[in-house]
Amino acid sequence: MSLRLAWRDGDRVRVVEAAAGSGRYRVSVDGVEIALEVEWLDRDIFRLVTPQGAVLAEVTAAGERRFVRLGAMDFVFEREGEEGRTLRAGAPRRSAAHGSGLEAPMPGVVTRVMAAVGEEVRKGQPLVVLEAMKMEHVIRAPRDGRVRSVAASAGEMVSGGMPLVELED
Amino acid sequence: MFRKVLIANRGEIACRIAATLREMGIAPVMVYSAADRGALHTRAGSEAIPIGPAEARASYLDIEAVLGAARRAGAEAIHPGYGFLAESPDFAAAVEAAGLTFIGPTPEQIRTLGDKRAARSLAARAGVPVVPGAEGGDSKALAAQARKLGYPVIVKAALGGGGKGMRIVADEPSLIEAAESASRLALTAFGDASVYVEKRLERPRHVEVQVLGDGNGGAIHLLERECSLQRRHQKVIEESPAPGLDEALRSRLAQAAVDLARAARYRGAGTVEFLVAGDGAFHFLEVNTRLQVEHPVTEVVTGVDLVRAQLQIAAERRLPFDQSAVKGQGHAIEARIYAEDPSRGFLPQAGEAAKVRWPRGPFLRVDAGVESGNQVPVHYDPILAKLIAGGETRKAALARLVAGLDAALVHGVVTNLPFLRALARAREVERASFDTEWIEREFLAGFTALATAPAPDLALAAVSIFEAEKTPGAGSRGPAADPTGVPRDGSGAFRAPGRWRLPGLE
Repeated sequence: MSLRLAWRDGDRVRVVEAAAGSGRYRVSVDGVEIALEVEWLDRDIFRLVTPQGAVLAEVTAAGERRFVRLGAMDFVFEREGEEGRTLRAGAPRRSAAHGSGLEAPMPGVVTRVMAAVGEEVRKGQPLVVLEAMKMEHVIRAPRDGRVRSVAASAGEMVSGGMPLVELED
Repeated sequence: MFRKVLIANRGEIACRIAATLREMGIAPVMVYSAADRGALHTRAGSEAIPIGPAEARASYLDIEAVLGAARRAGAEAIHPGYGFLAESPDFAAAVEAAGLTFIGPTPEQIRTLGDKRAARSLAARAGVPVVPGAEGGDSKALAAQARKLGYPVIVKAALGGGGKGMRIVADEPSLIEAAESASRLALTAFGDASVYVEKRLERPRHVEVQVLGDGNGGAIHLLERECSLQRRHQKVIEESPAPGLDEALRSRLAQAAVDLARAARYRGAGTVEFLVAGDGAFHFLEVNTRLQVEHPVTEVVTGVDLVRAQLQIAAERRLPFDQSAVKGQGHAIEARIYAEDPSRGFLPQAGEAAKVRWPRGPFLRVDAGVESGNQVPVHYDPILAKLIAGGETRKAALARLVAGLDAALVHGVVTNLPFLRALARAREVERASFDTEWIEREFLAGFTALATAPAPDLALAAVSIFEAEKTPGAGSRGPAADPTGVPRDGSGAFRAPGRWRLPGLE
């Protein structure tokens, strides 16, 4: 049984390949190969036994994210959109290819909208002010351009990653 | 003593205040917004009353809504906690006008001391040195004052505390932008848009003194706290006593704080904040007219329950003990656990804290406002809990804090725990050689570099996901699906977990 998990680490894609059977895995990542056994201890808690020693792992599913506790380390993995599929609004869009810099950096409440459709804006010009958890975030134009659409109005609650303003290409 | 006290707050501080009330045989009345239905604090009291929608302005900051709840419950007094209405003179006045007791200073004291500019002149009159600064005004006036002081300067909101909206600026355009932003924030958070500028001191330490005043000119101190470990003027780790201060300086700071509290005829618990320069020169910064987030380190070291002391002063109008009763023993250190993502510029996080496990252990105190399954709303300060470790020595307390941070688990929302774990282990923290800017100047760069985990750890983490994803309801089932504890090897049971990302490693 062969498994493959790829994760994006900056602009690299790192792949874990594992051969598994009866709780045994051979895992390779970055040219490092590890043999380990997995024992279930409790709901979502595993004991991973490697030749170097044993470590406890605890996994929690939260929507499209998986939180993994490994010893005293925490990892958060996010499920990626499949190739070619558009990530739904609200899902974090992080890569340079997708991110236009005009998304809400976090869930919050729009306090001011300073851009109107059709308006010419200059790079660095504040477009939307978002307030969340008592912090104010100013969404600025990443370049000169004309505003194609504005997806939020003052007082509206937006989710993290939601595009707020679109500039014409 | 009161029989029923309303706690006009939420989260960890509401839970912490309720604990003392229950201990004293006082019924705690909790309040909650629509976003906090089911929040941990709603279960901390003997009753919980809804006070409005999620937006703080229409609930926790709504004076009439809070007073209405107090009347409905028949509360005799209101404890404001910190944040929200804690430093609103209008609220304190409205509470008293309604015939209830405000657990805190008088409205006039909140007004004077809460206006940092007025507090500065009071301090100066009491003979306490102040940071060079200026009165404020519109952005043009601020710019002129900043030129006179010399850049860099710090832009501050005149009202409110906790460094919200505070910014260091090095030139005029950023000063004007910072002033406008701080002004807007101050208006929403504190209801007053005034801002002012202060000279930025080089590499100062933040040392503050806890005071209690009887309201008649009597005041005592409960030693000092060192709170220099800050990120963007938000304290991250605090401790008591302040390491590296000689006895003479400690007692001068304490005396200055007591002098100020006496001059103000201060009533209740308050904190006098100072900046201490490398040469031991100190300047008054501001007074916080409320219980501080970091008050537990003082409680651990002095053995005094500050909430109890607040209630005693409010009910009896005198100090419950005198200065000679205050003795520090050992050391205490606290870390603030926030729902914020250290790998994404500490952006606040919200969502369901699906699984939460706070550490337990000797001399380890956890003041938490969240447990498994609770929502972390987007509307409020993202603090989840505080971890406070005590010990005979600073070294022992710090070791306990590190172990406690390692054992703490919060899954479902991203927290600053990885940041706190790395910070608490830093050599500079171990040696107490830091200042208020050290985290941003030196620590953060190295911490970000550590974010890329070593391959073997990632591989093990990935295997955990394989294992958890095997069963339907991924991550939420366990051996129940396979009572032998041995994972099935059936071809259909496995599916490739696919592509995942580790956020924040761009």
